[in-house]
Amino acid sequence: MENLLEIKNLHASIGDREILKGIDLTVKPGEVHAIMGRNGSGKSTLSAILAGNSSYTVTEGSITYMGKDLLSMPPEERSWAGVFLGFQYPVEIPGVTNVNFMRTAINEHRRQKNLPPLSAAEYLKLMREKMAYVEMDPSFSSRGVNVGFSGGEKKRNEIFQMAMLNPTLAILDETDSGLDVDALRIVANGVNRLKTADNAFIVITHYQRLLDYIVPDIVHVLYKGRIVKTAGKELAAEVEAHGYEEFEV
Amino acid sequence: MEGLRYIPKNELFECSASLSGASKFFVWDGAPQGLPLRAMPCLASGAGFDVSSRMGHLDFNPGYDGVPKEAIDAVLQEGVLTQIIFVRVLPSPQKSRLRLSCAAPGKFSAVLCFHTTGRQRFSSENFVEVSLAPGAELDLTVMQNENLISRHRSDFRLSVEEGSCLKMNIITLRGGNTSNRIHCLLAAKNAECVLNGLYLADGQQVIDTDITLLHNAPECKSRQLFKGVLAGNARSKFTGEVVVAPCAQKTEAYQANNNLLTSDTARASSDPHLVIYADDVKCSHGSTCGSIGDQELFYMRSRGISEHEARILQQQAFAGAVLEQVSNPDLRERLTSLVEHRLRAQK
Repeated sequence: MENLLEIKNLHASIGDREILKGIDLTVKPGEVHAIMGRNGSGKSTLSAILAGNSSYTVTEGSITYMGKDLLSMPPEERSWAGVFLGFQYPVEIPGVTNVNFMRTAINEHRRQKNLPPLSAAEYLKLMREKMAYVEMDPSFSSRGVNVGFSGGEKKRNEIFQMAMLNPTLAILDETDSGLDVDALRIVANGVNRLKTADNAFIVITHYQRLLDYIVPDIVHVLYKGRIVKTAGKELAAEVEAHGYEEFEV
Repeated sequence: MEGLRYIPKNELFECSASLSGASKFFVWDGAPQGLPLRAMPCLASGAGFDVSSRMGHLDFNPGYDGVPKEAIDAVLQEGVLTQIIFVRVLPSPQKSRLRLSCAAPGKFSAVLCFHTTGRQRFSSENFVEVSLAPGAELDLTVMQNENLISRHRSDFRLSVEEGSCLKMNIITLRGGNTSNRIHCLLAAKNAECVLNGLYLADGQQVIDTDITLLHNAPECKSRQLFKGVLAGNARSKFTGEVVVAPCAQKTEAYQANNNLLTSDTARASSDPHLVIYADDVKCSHGSTCGSIGDQELFYMRSRGISEHEARILQQQAFAGAVLEQVSNPDLRERLTSLVEHRLRAQK
């Protein structure tokens, strides 16, 4: 089976500060990977680079996605190719409604595949279906993107967008931060419903809690810009019990 | 009416914001054949008849202070949307004077459009006097859609009496060198004035807005929201003065000017200011000048919205805050569509 994602010796900096110091990671279709680490370990840098945020510079290494050089693709191309990033701090966009935002995104995806745009009725039907995945109230659709949303509502909006776009590789950056147990359960259900044998997830988290709900196949511990241990899901419980100290060399 | 010439329908100018159901009047300086028409002093008498084939003549006898002596009088009728469409045809500079009045209590609405035909360097000066009787409410929308080298000066004198309310939306869709001066007097208690403006400019266009708003009586309210989207080498200047007289207690006056610059060479200057002589008032002013946020752009691109499309969405959202103030839903929809087309075409 071809690898979905291959990260080889990735070094990355912001300004002149090196944050990632040689990351190697391979993700195959059907897998759920968890990346755990403390604040400052490089978790968000990794997800930002995968999404194509130009604030970070890759100084060495490569990222291959479905055989293509991901680093040479602008953010929208990565999205069309099936990459999705659930942001840790989703931004608010007043004046652009959730409906308009998602409809434009969906229709641009379709245009890339030479498909006609969805009619207003077809789009609304799809939207209602996916809003149900995250128990989101339909009235949210006419509000500005994330405007006035609580932390939990923003995270659910990320998962709703993921459900609409149906990505091949989804990276969820600290999707659990700031969530209570109910919101956590809703978010996790949404993710679990979308899992197939052909797509893959990278769940980036500080705490083990989310991983009780979204059960990973492989867990990595990230420390100071390097993956210092990789194992099965039991590693998450170990981190929960003993903290990160044993990995800090 | 004597002195009027009827022009056959197929020679009428098609206005892009023409509203069905409106009582339309055309005011132009020369029929397509170049024949000037006589002045038509009074536009509206009697309710709800369509007079789309009537023409008015732009008077060019200078009166006091450069204002033409003869005016076109439009006494608005309640329940009738009056649309007055100004069209420039002849190359010589022209002045016009329009008096809009709401003579009794009630709800009134009017739309003024300014257009040019052809690509000549037209030069127009328009004087518009609006007066509201006590208890009258007027919803006035002004749309300016001229060619990219025209010179357009409009001088609006607004007078609002006791318990009346004037809401004016001024949309500058396109023009060469446009200068809008708005002078508003809140003359008696409980008068209210809401001014909303949207200006779009690119290329080498210039748009100046100069507002003077006088609170001359107590318990009056005013609100100003002017937004501009500037691309290319466009320049905009906003000067807004609100003066609150000593007797104008319990005044509420708010003023904001926001500019979105979408190129490195566009320039906006903004000078809102308040001169307050009363002591029991609520007043504020603010101005912003910025570009589209990187974070917002990145978020949209990460969902597959191309950078170009993401910028358009953001600009439409920005302009939307003014467009949503247009009360008439058909007009609002039409203007939203025109603004979208204009934003897509901006360089």
